[in-house]
Amino acid sequence: MAANPMTQFEVYRIGPEIKIGAFDISFTNASLFMVVSSFAILLIFNLGSKKNSLLPNKLQLLAELSYTFVSKMINDTAGSKARPYFAFIFSLFMFVLFCNMFGMIPYTFTVTSHIIVTFMLAAFIFIGVTVIGFMKHGLGYLKLFVPSGVPAILLPLIVIIEIISYLSRPISLSVRLFANMMAGHTMMKVFGGFVISLGIVGGWLPLSFSVALTGLEILVAFLQAYVFAILTCIYLNDALNLHH
Amino acid sequence: MSKDQFKTRLQIAKNKLSRKNQKNNGKNSSSIGAAFKLSTELVAAVAVGTIIGFILDNTFGTKPWLIIIFFFVGVIAGIINVVRSAKNMQN
Repeated sequence: MAANPMTQFEVYRIGPEIKIGAFDISFTNASLFMVVSSFAILLIFNLGSKKNSLLPNKLQLLAELSYTFVSKMINDTAGSKARPYFAFIFSLFMFVLFCNMFGMIPYTFTVTSHIIVTFMLAAFIFIGVTVIGFMKHGLGYLKLFVPSGVPAILLPLIVIIEIISYLSRPISLSVRLFANMMAGHTMMKVFGGFVISLGIVGGWLPLSFSVALTGLEILVAFLQAYVFAILTCIYLNDALNLHH
Repeated sequence: MSKDQFKTRLQIAKNKLSRKNQKNNGKNSSSIGAAFKLSTELVAAVAVGTIIGFILDNTFGTKPWLIIIFFFVGVIAGIINVVRSAKNMQN
């Protein structure tokens, strides 16, 4: 009986224990769902782009819609200079979206409800964007921390503030996704527990809440993937077009 | 179905779509996403400021002064972040 709403986030090992040195790299249920969602993406886009008919079938429509959606998002937020990074942002968006959506199926594991997963994604983006910024502008990228038109006395304080706000990007990016997914799934579990404990007499109210929450969670799953991708675009835009 | 017929049908469908898009302009999902963005921006800057203060305190042995100072600097950075992204949203 899973009365504890947090047991759904438990990571356990599947198969044999694999150790390299002090690191435990065994295959867990989290790894399983990452593999499953990656393969689902590969399958959908391979089948969807197999035959390019004028009247698309459902899979082709799905593939084309998501392509134009991400392409429009990049053009709107980061401009045409960000075109070369389309493949990265597209796969990032699709991966987060599929992980979130797979988590909505009962008895599955939500990979993105773990801070370490989202933080690794965000840290990778953060390091990548910083490297791109330095590659494009050289040391001039440090101008990002020195806004123009600030009196000299205030400058040290402003620079510290700018550095803190730059460093807070990966944390706000990862915490947002992780907190939204975890809070939503915990809430659904709690309401599910109410249905059981109140029984056939009083269980109908929490059941209706559960139904509403499921709809809300699907919206949040999509929205958080969208926000994750659009913020990557915004950070990329800062690195590509320096203006402060 | 001939090609001409298909083209007119496509045109009609496109017109319908663009009318629909104009109707819910402004309250699409991106504005909800923007609202989510603001909430974590403030907290993250405070957390980063406090962590930096903690690390500097440990290296220089000036407990507890730097952590206090950097906490408030983090608060300022968070508020600036929120104001800045709110300004970006208006444009």
